[in-house]
Amino acid sequence: MDIDEVKAQAGPRAFDPSDDLPEEYRKAATRMIQFHANSEIMGAYLERPFIRQAPSIDRKLAFSAKVQDEIGHAQLLYRAAELLGVKTRDEMLDELAEGTGKFLNCFHYPMTEWAETPMIAFFVDGAAMRRQATLKRSSWEPYAHAMDKVCFEEGFHVKHGEDIMRELATGSKAEQRRLQEAFEEWWPRIIQFFGPTDDKSKHHDFSSQVGLKLMTNDQLRTAFLNSYIPKAEKYGLEIPDEPRITYDEETGRYEVVEEDLDWDEFFSIAKNEFEPGRGQIDTRAAAHDAVKWVRDALDGYETSTRSGAAPQAAD
Amino acid sequence: MRWEVFRQEEEGGYHTHCGDVHAPDAEMAKLFAQIQHGRRKPTHGIWVAPADEVYSVDADETVFGGSTDKSYRWATAYNVDASHAQEVADSEAEQREAEGRRGES
Amino acid sequence: MATATLGNPPDLSDRERAAIEALLFRLADDEFVAAERYTDWQVRSPTLESDLALSNIAQDELGHARLWYDLLEDFEHTESALIYERAAGEWRHNTMSELPFGEGDWADAVVRTYLYDTAEAIRLEALVESAYPRIRDRVEKVIREEDYHRQHAESWLSRLASDEEGQQRLQSAVDRLLPYGLTIFAPMGDVEADIDDLGLRTETLESMRETWLDTVVPHLEGLGLHVEDAQLPEQYDVHHEAMELPDELGRDGTHTDSWDELLEEFTFAYRDLGRTTTTEIMADPDDVE
Repeated sequence: MDIDEVKAQAGPRAFDPSDDLPEEYRKAATRMIQFHANSEIMGAYLERPFIRQAPSIDRKLAFSAKVQDEIGHAQLLYRAAELLGVKTRDEMLDELAEGTGKFLNCFHYPMTEWAETPMIAFFVDGAAMRRQATLKRSSWEPYAHAMDKVCFEEGFHVKHGEDIMRELATGSKAEQRRLQEAFEEWWPRIIQFFGPTDDKSKHHDFSSQVGLKLMTNDQLRTAFLNSYIPKAEKYGLEIPDEPRITYDEETGRYEVVEEDLDWDEFFSIAKNEFEPGRGQIDTRAAAHDAVKWVRDALDGYETSTRSGAAPQAAD
Repeated sequence: MRWEVFRQEEEGGYHTHCGDVHAPDAEMAKLFAQIQHGRRKPTHGIWVAPADEVYSVDADETVFGGSTDKSYRWATAYNVDASHAQEVADSEAEQREAEGRRGES
Repeated sequence: MATATLGNPPDLSDRERAAIEALLFRLADDEFVAAERYTDWQVRSPTLESDLALSNIAQDELGHARLWYDLLEDFEHTESALIYERAAGEWRHNTMSELPFGEGDWADAVVRTYLYDTAEAIRLEALVESAYPRIRDRVEKVIREEDYHRQHAESWLSRLASDEEGQQRLQSAVDRLLPYGLTIFAPMGDVEADIDDLGLRTETLESMRETWLDTVVPHLEGLGLHVEDAQLPEQYDVHHEAMELPDELGRDGTHTDSWDELLEEFTFAYRDLGRTTTTEIMADPDDVE
């Protein structure tokens, strides 16, 4: 297939591994899905200390299960990306460890206290779920299929996040204050989850023409704000003054003043050059390297037990 | 190595492909597949098979048994009343439904 | 040993209650602390698949802890008091389960789960016909989850043992962990005699310990690992010439320094938020099939 045919045929789940797709499509899809898979791991990595800190057994179980789900999603997503034939799962995992693998802005920031957990578990996961719901119509079938499973599992993540927030919002004055502080700190980052409006993003046009991107950054952000601003207000959170967000009565939509957001920071994050994010990448990489001996042992075991076969190429 | 995983939802049902696991051998593949693919949806059984032992053929390469008119294989082609026997009528109804879906693909 | 069934919580004598509580504390604390350490491996395991498997094991153990703590709540304990407000020296878990993992020490995870899960199989079997119905009713469900844990540990043991570096690391883990593993069977004091006499369990600690050693030692040796011999202290029957027990026995409230740190970590948010109660999401175990 050439690119024009791809654009002509692009529709929900239009392409699968039996199709001979041009490199431009396969690279664009790989980049997108790899970013998503990396984000699952780095999001899980950011949240994992809160399994330990959870202030009840049931919360601990929920956090453990949420983090586990995210690793499971990464597993599915690397496979969906690998099927494009551009990179293997091992290559993508190595890139993440080396610091060249990209992932969501929110997961480059530190999270140090319990009151911050709903920012990720409710708002960021809520934003992700909205995006994931649209990706069920991705033109790359394995990705769309993975979204079915991800969406199935993820409902509890957002509800768990909301429940933690509800508890803080209806708790002591100190808890309410800390929730508000966390919200003020994370709010700009959450808005930036959706990226800049599309004229600043270099990949948008092609991705939407080939069915990889189903909504513009702007549309997704608006949909998110429409659902989540009322939720935040329901729990007594005050929406920060910046970025300036205005509600248009006629269209029923929220508009954001982009200049109020720190895009320099965002683009530095996008290059994995933001200090706290580097910290996350490096400590996780150290953990990943520390167990390389196990992966090597398994490979050795596999090679020696495949009777009569020549050593297999690494998966 | 990679293993394709097939999940059986209920006793007696068919195993459906549901993803893969990386494992050095079948025993570990089964251990991993149980958790990855069996923990969140009702699961009665799981198969694992080495990924390179799963062979495929798809609609780009074959017409799956026919492209010329084969309506002689279908109860719906026959203009006799099947209502004397429920099981014959049921078969016809199922074939009509399948034919309808075939028409859509 | 008594074969009569004990009554419900309000009908128990002080002696019966004390014995049941002691048994439950050892079960619950062991599971909770083991689970807490296992969660260290989440997002840090060697492969994505192994991450999912160990996470599941952690959740299973935590779920078991929850079932046993729930039975302690029959005796006016609360989750808050049991988990978040109890002093370090009042916990009764074995001291193997509290030990931290060295970075990258998957061999420890494998040996530790193997030793623990084998002990679990033995001691849970001894509860299947417990004289206390509340324990009897919950044991089967726990045993079925433990089957997976054992298969998982045994599979990993043999895979790692076939690798040179794996062997060395396994040996190092065995050397360090096995003496602490013995504390799973350390007595809590005179109450152990009551636990046996009342039929709360159908095997004595000594008997279970011997079964455990008779299982794990040959298994580890069969994989090419070397198991140290040393003298058991006098309060134990000498059947095996066994390892020297560590100073910290757990059952008597003595613990390693790493326990203080762990307790501090998992109670931090509760204290920092000024909580006095714990959040429940799931139904009471008594209300679930």
